[in-house]
Amino acid sequence: MAWRNLGRNRTRTVLAALGIVIGVISIASLGMAGAALQQQATSDLGSIGGDVTVASGADSASDGVTRAQVETLRDIVSDAEVVPQKSNSTTLTARNGEEARMSVTGVTNAAALYNLTNGDAPNRLASGALISNGTAETLDLELGDPVEYDGQIYRISGFLEESGGFGGGGGQLVLPISALSEQDGYDTVTVVAGNSDAATALADVIDSQFNEEDDEELRVSTFGSLDSLETFLNTLNYALLAIGAISLVVASVAILNVMLMSTVERRGEIGVLRAVGIRRGEVLRMILTEAALMGAVGGLIGALGSLLVGLVMFQLLTGDAMAVFNWSSSQYLLFGFAFAVVASVLSGVYPAWKAANDRPVDALRS
Amino acid sequence: MSVIELEDVIKRYQSGVETVEALKGVDFSADRGEMVTVIGPSGSGKSTMLNMIGLLDTPTEGHVHLDARDVTDFSEDELTEERRTGIGFVFQDFHLLPMLTAVENVELPSMWNTSVDRHDRAVELLRRVGLGDRLDHTPDQLSGGQQQRVAVARSLINEPDILLADEPTGNLDQDTGQTILEELTRLKEDENVAIVAVTHDDQMLDYTDTTVRIVDGVIQEVAQP
Repeated sequence: MAWRNLGRNRTRTVLAALGIVIGVISIASLGMAGAALQQQATSDLGSIGGDVTVASGADSASDGVTRAQVETLRDIVSDAEVVPQKSNSTTLTARNGEEARMSVTGVTNAAALYNLTNGDAPNRLASGALISNGTAETLDLELGDPVEYDGQIYRISGFLEESGGFGGGGGQLVLPISALSEQDGYDTVTVVAGNSDAATALADVIDSQFNEEDDEELRVSTFGSLDSLETFLNTLNYALLAIGAISLVVASVAILNVMLMSTVERRGEIGVLRAVGIRRGEVLRMILTEAALMGAVGGLIGALGSLLVGLVMFQLLTGDAMAVFNWSSSQYLLFGFAFAVVASVLSGVYPAWKAANDRPVDALRS
Repeated sequence: MSVIELEDVIKRYQSGVETVEALKGVDFSADRGEMVTVIGPSGSGKSTMLNMIGLLDTPTEGHVHLDARDVTDFSEDELTEERRTGIGFVFQDFHLLPMLTAVENVELPSMWNTSVDRHDRAVELLRRVGLGDRLDHTPDQLSGGQQQRVAVARSLINEPDILLADEPTGNLDQDTGQTILEELTRLKEDENVAIVAVTHDDQMLDYTDTTVRIVDGVIQEVAQP
């Protein structure tokens, strides 16, 4: 019955449902865009997010982190990798005259810290060097080529993946720890905890072990920025959803309009229904059903449309189109659909109530 | 025993600042198997009276009795229930629902009531008004006379006691109007219903049992030929 009523003015019904479709697509797509961004950003930061960086504190008497402190650290964290580093900076000059200023890091266990694009990083870096691949390109260096630091020659044994955006950006040269032997303590110690939760926990343990309220022996830091980034992404997500919700509100106003028009148009007819003994509640139900049907069809089409948009979006942002089916993003399809039905029914309430409570005498006269 | 009775009914409308008295103390009754025709000039209160009888409107003063029960103070929902079970309506311009077939239109008053299946009765009523071969036609595929016969069948679906007809022949030509009136006369006896009709149509007087003339909200003449 409700279905056939909708069929009577197809154009109007289709236009109203189109409003819902667009509303659902915008709310679901924007929701999924947020999810995709979040997933992408988290996976980018995943590797450094799990590290704890320990450096010499403000109240420390020694220059850098001492050997003894590193040993204590090793004891505390037991199964996590502890990698002490010394750092400096230098300017490398290539055979073709190109110069590149870069940070130099002395490290014992390179494999635990760096992702290589080429070559290999021996557990104990003895005489080789690792160099970021961008710099290598500028300086025209290849595997096995020599670089000079502090009078010593090191041969390049691998290239480092450029760390995306956050790791300082500049070129990086990784050398055996012995290359920077003129320094006594270590500049930083990286503890590889694996993920950001574990890193936070470890940082707390280390902090309480070495430091007191007014005596900071070691400065312990994690990528807490990851947390704030997540908060930011969540806020962004809500903002996107709010924009989508606005279009759905507009769509429900369209449905309100359509339902109102169609009840005004059918006023006499509804009067007949009431005259022949159809109850007010039954008229109400009929019109609400029409609105709900419109919302459900619009919502369904909208959800399918957003699925397509989502597939494309995930393909572009994360390179994995199927990730759209993860609950974190596919939930928005469900939300969009539910929102559409609820919004349609809500905007059907007033016209339905108005039609049902119209006095049959007045309705018949019109 | 009258199936419907108006007792000293007064109806006032607020029209702008002035109060219009559409009915000024009307007494009226109709019996089962009787056809009563209400005539009178326009604005005389015919339609208001029909709305009272059809429980679509309530009187300002006076009482309405349906089947010896006083229904004057019934709530809107109770009145709806009385209309559903006891009263059938035929309108001047048919008022069929355009998206439903003939048989669905006839079933309409009982459509929301899933406890009874009126389909067989709907088919049978349509056969009786001569539309057995038009069951699945929609109103726009039917002529005016056929539509009005569907409306007559619809008014009888719930086995009412009273059938109210507001200008039932008003939108039909002479011959078609006549067949509708013959149909009503036959059904009046078959179904034992009281028919109350409002009309301008003189040929209707040939079929009626009682004629009531109303002028300015007052019944002037009751004639039984």
